[in-house]
Amino acid sequence: MTIYIIRRLLLAIPTLFGVLVVTFLLLYVAPGDPVQEMVGERADSATIARLRKELRLDESMSSQFTHYAGGILRGDLGTSYITRRPILSDVLERFPKTLLLAGTAMLFASITGILIGVLSAQHPDGWFDRIALGGAYLGISFPVYWVGLLLILLFAVTLHWLPPSGYGGIRHLILPALALGTRSVAFLARITRSAMLDVLNSDFVRTARAKGLSERAVALKHGLRNALIPVITVLGLDFGYYLTGSILTETIFSWPGLGRYVVNAISRRDLPAIQGSVLFLSVIFVLVNLLTDLAYAKADKRVSL
Amino acid sequence: MMSTAALARGLRECCCASLALLTGLSGLAGLSTLSACGGSSTPDRRTLIDSRDNYDPRSLDPALSTDVPTGRAVSYVFDGLTRFTPRAQVVPDLATSWELAADGVTYTFHLKHGVRFHDGTSFSAADVRHSWERVLDPKTRGGRGWPLYPIRGAKEFAAGTVSSITGLSVADDSTIRITLTEPFAIFPKMLAMPATAIVPKRTPPDFGEHPIGTGPWKFVAWHHDDYLLFARNAQYHDGAPLADSLEARIIPELSTAEAEFEAGNVDVLQVPAQESPSWESNEETRPLLQSAPSLRLIYGAINTTRGPLKDARVRQAINLAVDRGMILKRLMGGRGTLAAGVIPPSLDGYSATLAAYPYDTTRARALLKEAGYPDGIDIELWTSQSEQFPRIAQTIQAYLARVGIRVKLVQRDASSMREAARNGKTDIALKDWYADYPDAENFLYPLLHSANRGVGGNVSFFSDARFDSVVSKARREPDDQKRIALYRQADSLAHVEAPMLFMFFYTELYAVQPWLKGFTVPSIFTGERWTEAKIERPAKPAPK
Repeated sequence: MTIYIIRRLLLAIPTLFGVLVVTFLLLYVAPGDPVQEMVGERADSATIARLRKELRLDESMSSQFTHYAGGILRGDLGTSYITRRPILSDVLERFPKTLLLAGTAMLFASITGILIGVLSAQHPDGWFDRIALGGAYLGISFPVYWVGLLLILLFAVTLHWLPPSGYGGIRHLILPALALGTRSVAFLARITRSAMLDVLNSDFVRTARAKGLSERAVALKHGLRNALIPVITVLGLDFGYYLTGSILTETIFSWPGLGRYVVNAISRRDLPAIQGSVLFLSVIFVLVNLLTDLAYAKADKRVSL
Repeated sequence: MMSTAALARGLRECCCASLALLTGLSGLAGLSTLSACGGSSTPDRRTLIDSRDNYDPRSLDPALSTDVPTGRAVSYVFDGLTRFTPRAQVVPDLATSWELAADGVTYTFHLKHGVRFHDGTSFSAADVRHSWERVLDPKTRGGRGWPLYPIRGAKEFAAGTVSSITGLSVADDSTIRITLTEPFAIFPKMLAMPATAIVPKRTPPDFGEHPIGTGPWKFVAWHHDDYLLFARNAQYHDGAPLADSLEARIIPELSTAEAEFEAGNVDVLQVPAQESPSWESNEETRPLLQSAPSLRLIYGAINTTRGPLKDARVRQAINLAVDRGMILKRLMGGRGTLAAGVIPPSLDGYSATLAAYPYDTTRARALLKEAGYPDGIDIELWTSQSEQFPRIAQTIQAYLARVGIRVKLVQRDASSMREAARNGKTDIALKDWYADYPDAENFLYPLLHSANRGVGGNVSFFSDARFDSVVSKARREPDDQKRIALYRQADSLAHVEAPMLFMFFYTELYAVQPWLKGFTVPSIFTGERWTEAKIERPAKPAPK
């Protein structure tokens, strides 16, 4: 297994290099000029030319890339053109906040989603199943910013139970985590339900029931454990959705996370900040994919790494 | 996502209605739905809270002050030699007075005695020189040196060719002498801009994160993308703020800011134009509204160097063909006044007798025909995605089609559009201009003088010898009345030459909580420094 992990991490290097090249090229050809963003609405061409030279933006594409990639190899993500702060510290300041939001949303979604899925599978087409299925359709269909606004209006403005936005304690976390997790609850409930139904109709479950095991033991020990594989896949894939979906959620709830940082960087053409955060997120994705694969092995002994 | 705000208001009414119904049905008559749905009661906090910043400031370093949130924060912590009032007047700040020598270029500024920075060090004339050298120093990479360029030697210092600014000399601790390259009567106004604010001698590398100034508010904390916190500077030289602290929240989404305002968590809200009718028609919110004419022009820069647009008649036809009054009323909630030229009504030089182009399609068609385009022309109209611009652009497109001008809309993000306009690649670029300092020169010179073509702000690439000479003369003219007359003359020339589709001057609309006293809606973005503002609690009812 250690060899497997090392091999996977080594394979990540070309992936990350690819990400580096593609982001660099995309930003190189994209319209908009970072220097014009730095100087604001009124400027003079001498200042612009000077800044361009200092930031090496007047050099050839290959020379710019070599310089940038060299910095990355030394572990230096560079300094923001706009704020003049080091990118790494900016990213590290915001990422834990995004992770907290995404993690809470994911926790909420998996507990609620799996629970609803398991319960629905107990009596397919029963009243609970029908309501849950209807709810799932609604949950998948609502865009996150709409759910977010509704939550703010109901719980913050009308009922005054929770703060409308901002970053702080648990009270500030509840609404954005609900908004971000809603779509996933619906998705996970449906996946869990169908996986559970597959498993519950299989031979070994019939055997377990014939042995005289209680329905609860059958559902949890034999059913859920075997239904977990597709659920883990969905969770792993969904992690990307949590990080990107958090851009909208962070905006609606004024949550000071990485998503907003990236959006700001893009709108101000802060090239090092965009490249740095994309690279950072790619590393996270690679790690999450690895963790997902390791979780398969944990959940299903037949999977060997 | 601005339109979601309208949705939000609708939903909120639904929520309130259904909540009222629920409480009614369940017989919980004691639960007041009014307090939940109407405004909130006076909050039990001593901190003033602002909701206007919609993105994180660049830095809190005056030298990097190129955007609105940065400039606003800088104006709280720092002082300039002069400052703006909420009504965009320029008054002395760190300077007590100044005089201009007979040569018309040498200013002597007398500085306040006994002013201290927040760290306790005293302020003196040497700090002024140091601050300005820092702004201009190429190593600062600020990009905001131009307000100081009128000083002799400043441009050369910024280019790195000389080691000191020749036009700047410290006479004694409280006197600084400034020599300009040529007479420039409005120069003291530029010293109220955030970029020219005074910083102490010692500025460590993280100064932008931990600023120290002489201003009314001391910096306390900056949680990026979340909020900035300032505390009252009890030693402030011009009367300490009335409130204990000031928090500037950073709220990117307008609907969220509205929700925070309705929940009573913020004290002021900048209501965008398209939302103003719903705020004005609602009886609960109407009394909270305050407005002020802002120094902001919304216009379409017509590139005067491209194809048929070189002909003034074509540009006049464009102005005649668009019913600006209707656009102002329908898309901007009527918040503004139609522009005849570039000088806003609240500034000297505005001429009430200069009438805006009427909506006259017959004359527009005739002018096009006269210019040799009886079959109309094809042009590209560029717009950014912010606020109402895309909708205004679509409406302009429809109006121009009526006189045979076929418009292709190009919608880009603000950065791409700015680059294209500055490189002369747009036929018409729909945009706006906020004044940096309250003077007609701040509109005439950057927007239309040929020296500023491209990056300087003149994206009409307008170059007219007569206009240039009038504006240059006005800049040098020391006599106020004569200068104002020249401004008027320049504005009339601009009106006739029509290097832009003149749209309107915007009127700012704020919602202000009933408990906030002493706050004035500013006409210029750094005009209100919250020094007179306080939260006023209603007097406790007398015990029975």
